[in-house]
Amino acid sequence: MSQKIRQYVHQLLSEGKIKAFLGLREENGHIMPHLFCEPQELEQISLGDRKEPGDARYPLNQLLIRLAREHPDDTFAVLTRGCDERGLKELFKWNQLNEERVVPVGVGCPDDLARACECEKPFPDCLIDGPQGQKADSEKVARIDGMDLEGRLKFWMGEFDRCIKCFGCRNVCPMCFCNECSIEEESLVGKGEIPPDNPTFHLIRAVHMVGRCIDCGLCEEACPADIPLRTLYKKVADIVSEELGYRTGYSIEEKSPFNIIGG
Amino acid sequence: MAEKRMTFLKKLMEFCGINPDRLRVRWVSSSEASEFVEEISTFVEDIKKTGPNPLKAKEAA
Repeated sequence: MSQKIRQYVHQLLSEGKIKAFLGLREENGHIMPHLFCEPQELEQISLGDRKEPGDARYPLNQLLIRLAREHPDDTFAVLTRGCDERGLKELFKWNQLNEERVVPVGVGCPDDLARACECEKPFPDCLIDGPQGQKADSEKVARIDGMDLEGRLKFWMGEFDRCIKCFGCRNVCPMCFCNECSIEEESLVGKGEIPPDNPTFHLIRAVHMVGRCIDCGLCEEACPADIPLRTLYKKVADIVSEELGYRTGYSIEEKSPFNIIGG
Repeated sequence: MAEKRMTFLKKLMEFCGINPDRLRVRWVSSSEASEFVEEISTFVEDIKKTGPNPLKAKEAA
């Protein structure tokens, strides 16, 4: 599948349209982010498929923000799945990236990955290669919706209380770019306590994901305690969609409703 | 917008197993003292009916 991507990036690089391509590289059986600066390097390109499709993913947009800050006048291409594209759209609106300096290189996710992610749109508009997969509804959210109040509280407290407060969910998040973070704010969450104040700790993060979370699921993958964060944030996104008619990462103009004070 | 935020919060509470009736918002002007008293009194009554917060029980344990 990577052949079309390789050709596309090769052309961008040789025509000088981009300074470099931020993608993934496979070396000695490991897949890692890599900045491809020369066309001849592209042989090593990987789409992040180790054992299963897309099981080696990284917050490339997070690296791109850092790169763009250091090289504001250069244009970079970046490997972009459906979720990454939603991320790019939000990051442009939040002024974290300049749309004119980013060339997304779209790859569609295969069905099993889309299903595992319960993804709403498992392909980007800027599709270069890969399928234009089907939307998958979230059975995980439905399962919790099906519980009674008491059952839900028991379920979530059981999950939240495994938290060792490693901040991995926030650190891996391509949309967490704040300089100051509320989950480190002592007046909200006490320090030096494990598990943290729950459900406060996790609900603060959940609420702050409004207009940010693009459902990439990296937080849940990074969590050493296997807390189903993605399911929680999916529900948050659903409520915002029902109540405020906003879905994160689809519009290039409309801003997150929680960004508006008053109104 | 504040009303929508409250609805959002109530729905999130519900999803996490916290009774959304524990949260209430009403708009009362400073000249409407009796409405304010009435509102608070009913809220206190309703909360008492709902019973102790299950999260407090966890804290005590």
